[in-house]
Amino acid sequence: MAKLLKDIKNLLLGMCITGKHLGRHAVTIQYPEERWTMPERSRGIVVLLSDKETGELNCTGCMLCMRACPTAAIQIDAPRGEDKKRRLKLFTIDFGICCFCGLCEEACNFCAIKMAPMYEFSTVNKDDLFWDMKKLQEIGRDVDYVDTRKKKPAAGADKPATPPQAGENKNPEGGTTGEKQDKKEGEV
Amino acid sequence: MGGLRTEEFIVNMGPQHPSTHGVCRLMLTMDGEKVVKIEPFIGYLHRAIEKICENRTYAQCVPIIDRFEYVTSMSCNQVFSLAAEKLAGIEVPERAEYLRVIMLELNRIASHLIFYGVTAMDLGALTPFLYGLREREMIIDLFEMTCGQRLTYNYIRIGGVSRDIPKEFVPQCRKAIETIRDKLNDYEGLLNENPIWLVRNKGVGYLAPDVAIAYGVSGPSLRASGVKYDLRRDDPYSIYDRFDFDVAVRYNGDCYDRYLVRLDEIKQSIRIVDQALDGLPEGPIRAKVSPNFKPPAGEVYSRIENSRGEMGAYILSDGSKKPFRVKLRGGSYNQLEVVPVIGVGGLIADLVAIFASLDVIMPEVDR
Amino acid sequence: MSWPLAIGELHGIFRLLYGLLKDTGLPQPWLDTVTYIVLSVVVFGLLSVIALFLVWWERKIAGHIQQRFGPMRNGWHGWYQTIMDGLKLLQKEDVIISTRDKVVFFWAPVMCFVAAFLAYVVIPFGDGLIVADLNIGILYIMAVTTFTVISLLMAGWGSNNKYALLGGMRSAAQVVSYEVPMVASVLAIVVFVGSLSMVDIVKSQSGLVFNWFIFRFPFGPIAFITYIIAGTAEANRTPFDIPEAEQELVAGYNVEYSGMKFAMFFLAEFINMFTISAVAVTLFLGGWNGPFLPSWIWFVIKVLAIVLLLMLFRWTYPRLRVDQLMEFAWKFLVPVTFANLILAAWMKYAGWYW
Repeated sequence: MAKLLKDIKNLLLGMCITGKHLGRHAVTIQYPEERWTMPERSRGIVVLLSDKETGELNCTGCMLCMRACPTAAIQIDAPRGEDKKRRLKLFTIDFGICCFCGLCEEACNFCAIKMAPMYEFSTVNKDDLFWDMKKLQEIGRDVDYVDTRKKKPAAGADKPATPPQAGENKNPEGGTTGEKQDKKEGEV
Repeated sequence: MGGLRTEEFIVNMGPQHPSTHGVCRLMLTMDGEKVVKIEPFIGYLHRAIEKICENRTYAQCVPIIDRFEYVTSMSCNQVFSLAAEKLAGIEVPERAEYLRVIMLELNRIASHLIFYGVTAMDLGALTPFLYGLREREMIIDLFEMTCGQRLTYNYIRIGGVSRDIPKEFVPQCRKAIETIRDKLNDYEGLLNENPIWLVRNKGVGYLAPDVAIAYGVSGPSLRASGVKYDLRRDDPYSIYDRFDFDVAVRYNGDCYDRYLVRLDEIKQSIRIVDQALDGLPEGPIRAKVSPNFKPPAGEVYSRIENSRGEMGAYILSDGSKKPFRVKLRGGSYNQLEVVPVIGVGGLIADLVAIFASLDVIMPEVDR
Repeated sequence: MSWPLAIGELHGIFRLLYGLLKDTGLPQPWLDTVTYIVLSVVVFGLLSVIALFLVWWERKIAGHIQQRFGPMRNGWHGWYQTIMDGLKLLQKEDVIISTRDKVVFFWAPVMCFVAAFLAYVVIPFGDGLIVADLNIGILYIMAVTTFTVISLLMAGWGSNNKYALLGGMRSAAQVVSYEVPMVASVLAIVVFVGSLSMVDIVKSQSGLVFNWFIFRFPFGPIAFITYIIAGTAEANRTPFDIPEAEQELVAGYNVEYSGMKFAMFFLAEFINMFTISAVAVTLFLGGWNGPFLPSWIWFVIKVLAIVLLLMLFRWTYPRLRVDQLMEFAWKFLVPVTFANLILAAWMKYAGWYW
């Protein structure tokens, strides 16, 4: 008999818990009328960034992002011209293959490629997922970024001073990469 | 009872079925309502991850191994990074270790919340699934704020973590785990003492400890059978020896205990996250790893405690920048092996309960 | 308070129409036939609207329990979602297996639908709002709701699919097993009232709230609880919904049906749920008795409260296994309801009630 009453009490407790939720407001939003603001580090789509003043692509054709991509979604054709500088001829990304890992963004030293928090790019045709340089640059114009490239000296030298290092990450905020802050480690 | 001829018939719990988590085909030989023999067929989700990794550099392998077990993607990253670091002798900075622990434990909580929802859904209670996922949203919002993705993170890299946490992370994380701690009372009230839940799960699918050890079962399914074995305590990796937490153990070995052990583990993970957030030091978040990372030739096997058991990565390196062989070990494979042993003799409804309580995830089985 | 179409006006409309019909000079038997046909059509129309409303309401309640919205797109909060779903189902291809048993396969959903609607001839929607006040009211309802068992078996057999047959037989076993405690709970009340007529049962609960049979301790609440549990099993709702569960392997009797035939089974389930609630309200909660508001509004409120209770059951509890379900019916409910019946009879005989 006692077990029966305990069972009834537990059944009623379960119903109380679900019944409580009838009075609460829903936690979902009505997409597409309301949209969630994505965090700024959100890895959505890959875009090519342009210089803020001149409007030209920042990309120098160094192909570091192509070598960093694990799925070979980026195809670059940047042959060297007569002045030994690379001229960017072709830059395509196949978003059917891209796995949105962000390694290309980390590999780039010239603030040329970034992952923007844009997620609404579904298409009906799979060929439309093959974005060329023009489209990547066009979508990239709406993306705001912090320009951390080394400024060119006024004399007009071509390359930045430090050699490119792939695999290292750039953090405008937060901890540093190489230096240890020993004075803080002893503190509790 | 003579003269009545019975015949066994074969039923296919096919690859597409709502309660095999992922694509797994179980061929059941049944005598009336009782299951007499179970034969699992796997391989529907094989994506050749280990083979792909043989042709990628170590840094490129990390996002591929993310997809090895996408429910606890941080653990996949961690086990591979641990193996590579052991091979090359890299020391991970303090802050990175603390961040790794926070992310791993948050991921464990998220995975157990999914287990809670999916197990209840398999047995017919459709609401706990939505409640579990509502809390999991808070955790993956934290992940999205830090690394940008909600499921396959590519966050724990060789040498540390990829990005530092933003300043809103700590207060939001504390709020999230407080909320989850409160909501656990709701979850327990809804199902723990529910007589229907008890009658479906108690005494069903008994897994004896020696059978579990013989088949290599690990993780919460093993701990529910009374074997107190947790890699965070018995073979500590990273900085787990600094945290104060209990190993959740139950002694009955049935589906109900496997469910309870996982709810206990959520509570213990909340404790660990609290302690890690309190003790988070300042400092660098990644050791200096050369862009052409070439570990010395040799082999290494490293293992961690995943929410499904022991997850291991074996790397055989020949000194080049691509691994020669990567072998991944997941806990779900062994738990799937145990299903034909303990599922026999019950009804199909019991088989559904057993499969759900062992928390088998097919991507881990098929790789 | 002058509510639109309150009791007086409704009676007035019916009397007017009957007067008009009489003026046409038809002989009496024809008059009765036409009257009953018209009333049945009215009830049928009402029930279709109720079925559509209940489907929408279930989805909204389920959504809010799960802290989401439910249907929101079609109309204000999705009120015509069910109509759109019905139109969609009409356009679906009616997949028919060539090896089916033609007659049985075709008539199973029809039978289910008809059986669900037949019970509404004797349900009192309000004071004087009943199609036919049979003096065997509640017995008629119990008899007619048993027709669904035949339709389940027909569906299982006609599909020519061994899993559908197994599912159909399991559902039939479940419904038949739970008929016994349901009838025994109802009998406890009938013994007390002394009449099978629905209107008499409601009239004997008039007066104060404490006259309702749910408050007649100790047999009232027990009969109510066992009736609700048996009714949930009759309507194939969780925790007794083995036939409909997708997670069970044996998929149930309606696995081979698609399109409008499937919609018939689906709507019949909701009509059954409404029947169970309406009978519960009539027997235990005082039917249409209540102050201030017209009686049909009280009836609707009370029935929707019981329907809400059944929906809460569905979205809270897991499912029982088939053998546990049968064990629960035969080993627990049947003894309890029979003991309750004996108790009620004794109390009535000995006069131990106020």
